Amino acid sequence: MITVTINGKGIKLEKPATVLEAARIAGIKIPTLCYHEGLELYGGCRLCMVEVEKMPKLQTACTLYVTDGMVVRTESEQITKARRGVLEFLLINHPLDCPYCDKAGECELQDLVMKYGPTTGRFEEGKRKHPESFDDPIIVRNMERCVVCTRCVRMCDGVQGASAIAVTNRGSHSFIEPFSSGEYNCEYCGNCLAVCPVGAIMSRLHRHAYRAWQVEQEVNTVCSYCGVGCSMVLQVREDTIKRVIPKIGLGVNKGLLCARGRFGYEYVGSHERLSSPLVKKNGKLEPATWDEALTTVANRLKEIKERFGGEAIAGVASPRCTNEDNYVFQKLFRAGLGSNNIDSSARLGYAGAQKYLEGILGQGATANIISGIVNSEGVFIIGGDPTHINPILGIQVRAAFRKGVRVITVGYTPGLERFRTAGLLPYPYTEGMLLSGLLEELLKIKSLPGGNKAFEAKINEFKRLSAGDIEKVCNITKEELSQAAKALSDISSVSMVIGRDIIQCTGASTNLFLLAAIAYILDARVYLLSERPNEQGLIDMGCLPDTLPGGRPLEIGSFRKRDEDVWDCQIPSKEGMTLMEIIESANTGSIKAIYVMGENPVYNLPDTNFVKNALERLGFLVVHDIFMTETAAMADVVLPSLSWAEKDGTYTNLERRIQRLRKAINRQGMEDWRILSEVGKKIGLKMPYNSAEDVMTEISMVSPLHAGLTYEDIERGLDQWPYKGEPLRQGLGVGDRGPVKIQMPGHKGRLYLSIEKPLFHSGTLSRRAQALNSIYPEPVVKINPETAKKFGLKDGDIVAVTSSKGNLILPVRTDKLIGESIVLVTNTFKGKGAMSLLSYKLDPITKIPCIDAVEVTIEKVVNI
Amino acid sequence: MNRTDELIKEIQEVKKSYPKTKAALLPVLYLAQREFGWLRPEALEFVSEALDIPKATVKGVATFYAMYKHKLMGRHLIQLCTNVSCMIFGAERLVDFLKNKYGLEVGGTTADGRFSLVIMECIGACGTAPAMLVNDDFYENLTEKYIEEILEKYK
Amino acid sequence: MERVLLKNIENPNSADIDEYMKVGGYRSLPKALDMQPRDIIDEVKKSGLKGRGGAGFPAGMKWTFASADPKFPKYLLCNADEGEPGTFKDRPILEKNPHLLIEGMAISGYALQAEYGYIYLRGEYPDAKHALKKAIKQAYEKGFLGDNILGKGVKFHLAVHQGAGAYICGEETALIESLEGGRGQPRIKPPFPVNVGVFSAPTIVNNVETLANLPYLIEIGADAYSKIGSPDCPGPKLYCVSGHVEKPGVYELPMGTTLRDIIYTHCGGIRGGKKLKAVIPGGISTPVLPPDKIDCPMDFVNMPKHGSMLGSGAVMVFDETVCLVKVCYRALKFFEHESCGKCTPCREGTGWLRSILDRIERGEGREGDIDMLLDVAGNMFGKTFCPLGDGAASVVQNFIKHFRPEFEEHIK
Ligand SMILES: Cc1cc2nc3c(=O)[nH]c(=O)nc-3n(C[C@H](O)[C@H](O)[C@H](O)COP(=O)(O)O)c2cc1C
Ligand code: SF4
Ligand code: FES
Repeated sequence: MITVTINGKGIKLEKPATVLEAARIAGIKIPTLCYHEGLELYGGCRLCMVEVEKMPKLQTACTLYVTDGMVVRTESEQITKARRGVLEFLLINHPLDCPYCDKAGECELQDLVMKYGPTTGRFEEGKRKHPESFDDPIIVRNMERCVVCTRCVRMCDGVQGASAIAVTNRGSHSFIEPFSSGEYNCEYCGNCLAVCPVGAIMSRLHRHAYRAWQVEQEVNTVCSYCGVGCSMVLQVREDTIKRVIPKIGLGVNKGLLCARGRFGYEYVGSHERLSSPLVKKNGKLEPATWDEALTTVANRLKEIKERFGGEAIAGVASPRCTNEDNYVFQKLFRAGLGSNNIDSSARLGYAGAQKYLEGILGQGATANIISGIVNSEGVFIIGGDPTHINPILGIQVRAAFRKGVRVITVGYTPGLERFRTAGLLPYPYTEGMLLSGLLEELLKIKSLPGGNKAFEAKINEFKRLSAGDIEKVCNITKEELSQAAKALSDISSVSMVIGRDIIQCTGASTNLFLLAAIAYILDARVYLLSERPNEQGLIDMGCLPDTLPGGRPLEIGSFRKRDEDVWDCQIPSKEGMTLMEIIESANTGSIKAIYVMGENPVYNLPDTNFVKNALERLGFLVVHDIFMTETAAMADVVLPSLSWAEKDGTYTNLERRIQRLRKAINRQGMEDWRILSEVGKKIGLKMPYNSAEDVMTEISMVSPLHAGLTYEDIERGLDQWPYKGEPLRQGLGVGDRGPVKIQMPGHKGRLYLSIEKPLFHSGTLSRRAQALNSIYPEPVVKINPETAKKFGLKDGDIVAVTSSKGNLILPVRTDKLIGESIVLVTNTFKGKGAMSLLSYKLDPITKIPCIDAVEVTIEKVVNI
Repeated sequence: MNRTDELIKEIQEVKKSYPKTKAALLPVLYLAQREFGWLRPEALEFVSEALDIPKATVKGVATFYAMYKHKLMGRHLIQLCTNVSCMIFGAERLVDFLKNKYGLEVGGTTADGRFSLVIMECIGACGTAPAMLVNDDFYENLTEKYIEEILEKYK
Repeated sequence: MERVLLKNIENPNSADIDEYMKVGGYRSLPKALDMQPRDIIDEVKKSGLKGRGGAGFPAGMKWTFASADPKFPKYLLCNADEGEPGTFKDRPILEKNPHLLIEGMAISGYALQAEYGYIYLRGEYPDAKHALKKAIKQAYEKGFLGDNILGKGVKFHLAVHQGAGAYICGEETALIESLEGGRGQPRIKPPFPVNVGVFSAPTIVNNVETLANLPYLIEIGADAYSKIGSPDCPGPKLYCVSGHVEKPGVYELPMGTTLRDIIYTHCGGIRGGKKLKAVIPGGISTPVLPPDKIDCPMDFVNMPKHGSMLGSGAVMVFDETVCLVKVCYRALKFFEHESCGKCTPCREGTGWLRSILDRIERGEGREGDIDMLLDVAGNMFGKTFCPLGDGAASVVQNFIKHFRPEFEEHIK
């Protein structure tokens, strides 16, 4: 126990603290400028000076740790004069252009000068000049206003780990600069501008459009982009989002955001938004009234159900929609249309993997606290780059590495280039075999723990590859492999971060089996990267063909009964079809109608032409969306829905944290759940909801995971599994898997297509965000410089990327971190999506559409 | 072995002197400066790659120090001290002399690219002031005439 | 007094190991290696040796702190950044007597159980770099450095790290930052380098001259050593004298020799028989003194009593022809150039002071300028992150304190 006296007030402290922290605990304010929570201490601005007894000089409160019996004074004539002096110094080279500066009203320097500052300046020499830089698409840099607190640099370097900016020069010529002095070319997280106390680093998005005092409303919500679920505040005026900011200390992100979260909101206000329901008349989508559109939907669905049975109808739910939307969606299907044909794009990886792994390791096994990564002793990453897919989770990996935690990556992970102990880059499409070899090596070091005998029997009978095989097939040396195994096995707490690329390739269930085995042996915490904000929620809501709300198996009668009682209906007991089965059945004609909510299968599923043809065969296609997507354009009825900022509800992130979305903007229209309710009512279902909260009330009765959960609980932070419901982690499965087949690795010298998951885009939404487009404006094909050399290509050359399914014409961009046989294309830009070049095969167990080694050619296009 | 390979070998050698790679930054910047003439962006990028330090960080460090060259300079660098001890013995007159006789501005380069001039803070020759360094060579007790003689040696 | 630090430097080959050994070099190292590390530290403590880098911190105490820290490895850094204007005392050791330093460091390394040492050498000393590199090579060859020094199982490795032109890197935490490849800005203390220094390890930073005292100290023992010079801070001291004296240069004298003795006895008085106007006794950062104060003994204890500091022992002598406003201006220009930019008062204040002095010196000063100088300097003094800013402020304060009329004349 340390006792310190500040301004005569005694303060007892349990833990060591700085004078500043101690004062804050006691409610005593000490002015600061360079200090910022979460950043390394600096002590440069000298504003926080205080008097400490027995110390002759003034001391900086932010850097001085209290000692027992210390006596501190935070205000005195001497201190006031010193602070005034510092502020005067800060202003001598400052342009004093507050009327013109966007920071006015929320500028820390302005506030400090108001409180402590000199009223007039005495400096009469010319001020240092440094023109404002507009060289960057996002960030405006004004070094005349900079106070060199270095908060931005400490953020960029120490927290974000991007190290894109630095202080250059020294003395009064110190400036904050990116390497180029102009364009940042960085991760554009914007965390630097968030911590800038003055108007030195500002975003162009808000330039002269934002004034702190003109914000009408600040709405706490969660981000709409990925499965991390960052907390954010929407600052709104006149029903427009003016700015998105995080709040220090709040949510999983604790004051940080990524590029998509911070700058990607503009799609909400896009002029391309759908506003009126559309009904196809004479082969053309025409505006219609809501009643007309909803009646058409209800009647057609009813008709098809009556003629062909519920099994002829299928639904595609959305990991971008809320829990409430998805809950009502599956209810409409199960209770109203008598169909279990419900699936979503989560099938492409997350849902299949989640179910598989939880089957063996227990429910909740894949829902671990993101901040736990820092506290683990080792991190194993495979199947994707967390810093791009789930950036805030990625930062945790970087932080872990900096703390000395071992990080081992497999595959292309550019964001972890400087943050890993070892990076294995196996030959394309041999990652599964690498896992087999890794398992073999681990078993040499560690024995099976003995908890799940059945699973262990399966592990023992699995034919594993030797390090020698791996060396031949994967191009990973025996030493690399055994070192990786050793690094993971001699520690007690491992985090395994798993991305879609390892789940979505041939042998998905075998790969999952191996991942489960490795996780089991290492007793690792599993993190499934989640590309959409509510993949987990959608699963928990029962938007799966074989699972009821709360993750309860459909096949068990008692579970069905429980829901039937609430819904007052019959739930068909037969398991429904998975996503690609639905498409395939549409193609063969056994599915007659598909109801798509907030998804764009034509663009987001492999083999575009096949999907398109299948949908064309349908008797009826309904699409809810906020934009006229490739899929909506084919629909018989299009229903405009509300975006994430325009509605209430909840998302469940990849750690199974359930969080509130809050309506920030008024827009005419209906939430997805409301549209579904209206359709449901028209076919005779009870849909007793007036608000999203009403839906949650029903969810809390139906789903054992959410038993008794209310919006109030979420408000209070009781938001993570197992909520108030039944405990998780039971039931130990054995890990069925498909036939084990040693895949043929790709041939050396050939090229294989892989999907880039860029930090700046997510597809349909992000391409309507101006800011993100300004960073990553056009589709490109990324290849290794060596590959480029081999094909006689250079950056900017236009090439045709051709697979058996089609071709894309794209400019070349080289990146030396990409494997030499890999061709990377994103699935982002209109008409240029990588998915269009892919074919797939269904994994027999998980029903994940697996993308085979898709061979492509690249060829320079001469005249276009 | 080409020049880059040789440089990389030298860098490997430098790295051995330190338990952490980053500590090799200052010496490696000197090497890069020697090789690239001055710390042009490509030089900094080269260093960044060789030591695996982010480019912006490398630039931040390089620009902190006065002795790295951040622009193209003449073949010979005159580093003239004008700090107090040298000043009281007429260092400023020598600056004027260099300007009048050779057209050398402070921070500038002669038209023929032969000399550049930078002003130094104390170079530790106060007892024999005024003093200067030409490249790595010390010259003390300077006079205008002596400077003329000295510079003759540098073509 | 027999010269210790500058021994044999008239010999043009003094930097060569054989020449060094001919005059008794490398005899203290084996003697030290036969002692217990603890005993060496005690000996240093007892000797009263104070650091020669400027602050005069007792070397023995610093060593005790570092050796008490249980962490290993430990590092020994030699501060050869010698950047304080007026200072050129370490240069002769570095260029002409490098083995004295190497021997001193090997002894210290053993005493501190530090297995690695670096000499942080300022970039402006190319000759010293070559001399040191050659000397270190020779010392390795002769087994005075390496994994098994003189076959006694003691390991000490030494390398030169060249700075690149930043005065602030003489400050020990900035030096450490710079050695680690960073921008040479000072770090927050505590933790002190003795606990968390270079590469996060316990680190001792000592000045060249401090370390160069070691062989002699070990040779004659603490008792004899402590009898040299001032009783409170004994030992030989290098005074480097520049400016208007007949014989400027580096003088090795007993600590506590008075300024008057240094100027008039050893340096032959003021050049051309002119009148003494002012002396800066310890490098530009130390307070300037008027002629009536030169009877003070030049050591760490007595100088503060006379209103200045020993600093690095860099005596700068100004005769009556010198314009002190101009000297003051030039000093501030130096501080402005060398401010690292970390803390506000120093970053902004040095330039502001310089610009006011500039206009006064040009004859464009205004009424109130002197008070403004004092006020601005007052807003800096004691409020900066490291002593560099204090130094800048105190230069202005002391020049005005002793020579205000000269400033006033410029303005009138
Ligand atoms: C701005 C500043 C510059 C300094 N420059 C030097 C220097 O050039 N050489 C030096 O030995 N000490 C210098 N010091 C002192 C060092 O910080 C440190 O006290 C010294 O190296 C310790 O060695 P010592 O105990 O042997 O004196 C400087 C201190 C400050 C604040
Ligand atoms: S400079 Fe202090 S002094 Fe300021 S808040 Fe920052 S560090 Fe405290
Ligand atoms: S002042 Fe010029 S060398 Fe010292």
